[in-house]
Amino acid sequence: MENDLMERYIYAVTRRLGSKQRQDVARELRSLIEDMLSERCAGARPTERDLRVVLTELGPPGELARKYDPAGDRALIGPPYYGMYKRVLGVVLVCMAVGMTLAHGILALLKPGSWFLTLGRWLTGLAAGTVFAFAFVTALFAFFSWRGVAVEQYNFDDLPPVPKKRQTAPVWESMAGIAFCVVFLVVFLGCPQILGMADGTPLLSVEGIRASWPVPVLLAALGIGRETVKLLERRYSRRVFLAALIADGLSAALVIWWLTACQVFNPAFFEKIGALFPEDPGFSAFFEKFPTFFLAVFLFALALDVLDAFLRGMET
Amino acid sequence: MDARDIVSGLVSELRRGTLILLVLSRLRRERYGYELVKELTDRGIPMDANTLYPLLRRLEGQGLLESTWRTDEPKPRKYYRLTDLGGEVLAMATEYWRRFSRQVDQCLEG
Repeated sequence: MENDLMERYIYAVTRRLGSKQRQDVARELRSLIEDMLSERCAGARPTERDLRVVLTELGPPGELARKYDPAGDRALIGPPYYGMYKRVLGVVLVCMAVGMTLAHGILALLKPGSWFLTLGRWLTGLAAGTVFAFAFVTALFAFFSWRGVAVEQYNFDDLPPVPKKRQTAPVWESMAGIAFCVVFLVVFLGCPQILGMADGTPLLSVEGIRASWPVPVLLAALGIGRETVKLLERRYSRRVFLAALIADGLSAALVIWWLTACQVFNPAFFEKIGALFPEDPGFSAFFEKFPTFFLAVFLFALALDVLDAFLRGMET
Repeated sequence: MDARDIVSGLVSELRRGTLILLVLSRLRRERYGYELVKELTDRGIPMDANTLYPLLRRLEGQGLLESTWRTDEPKPRKYYRLTDLGGEVLAMATEYWRRFSRQVDQCLEG
């Protein structure tokens, strides 16, 4: 009975310790408890009451385990990241909610339906968006905390210069960027037929877009990640430029792959355009090149964005 | 909070700071953990086993102590003793402590 309690106590202390020290700590604790018991009983046989007194003196097992392994208790996101984590999480959640509401408003206008279905979709979207935002921001900061990414300057000489007017990145800019990503994602996936001809033939292939849904999700995530870095820096810096370069580079690669490998555009749209102007082959030829044109414009916009981040960030 | 509470907090801070010095000084000779607890208590410096045992392992991890299990006695016990590095650290820390406590005394007197 006594031994059982002692072993239970030792197990409770050592079970969270690393496997290397677990056995040794258990053995040492066992010898300590026996020493404390024989000291207390001075030769007499210890009773369970004695054991309880000794264990009480040693304290709660969890507390003792923490003394053995203080690092095991380290927070997933500790200081100095925690305060920043809360601020960024708040901003991202607000943007997500605003973006989601806007997006569902647009969807409701595009595809009028019963109000409770609209309400249901909006609430589901909010719930999913909240989970995603929490997971995303938490993972980002857990990574920062784990790698010890420098978010504060300790050396006076390394303090960045006070940003010039065009180098500051106001919070609203990042918030608008994040909200836009959410709106893009929801409207695009919810209603790909938003662009099309007057008779309802859509420019984009609804099935093609829906089948390749991870692509717009990744595009939105890249955009949100990039805006989050800007939100942390509050200015255009080398890091913001790097984040833009990586996010825009990956976006470009993704979109190129998307337009070539997946059926994104609706072939029926181009046939109808051609049929509308049978006497003018140049017109339909232009529209057939539309995907390439679209890609060129998109890539140009990404290049401009990276250039802008570069010029603003490298200016000292 | 009355003066007694504040003083007890202050005293425990002071004790915490000198703990390592005391432990190192006692381990010039090989001792096991509970022996150390009793010895310090006898010298008027009571110390909890639940503080001392984790501390011994930490100092061993830092290379200041080394340990051996002795199984030739009736009860198996883990004995700790200073390493060369531990001796060096103890000598430097003792030197610092002497100077520091003298300066503190001078401040308190004058």
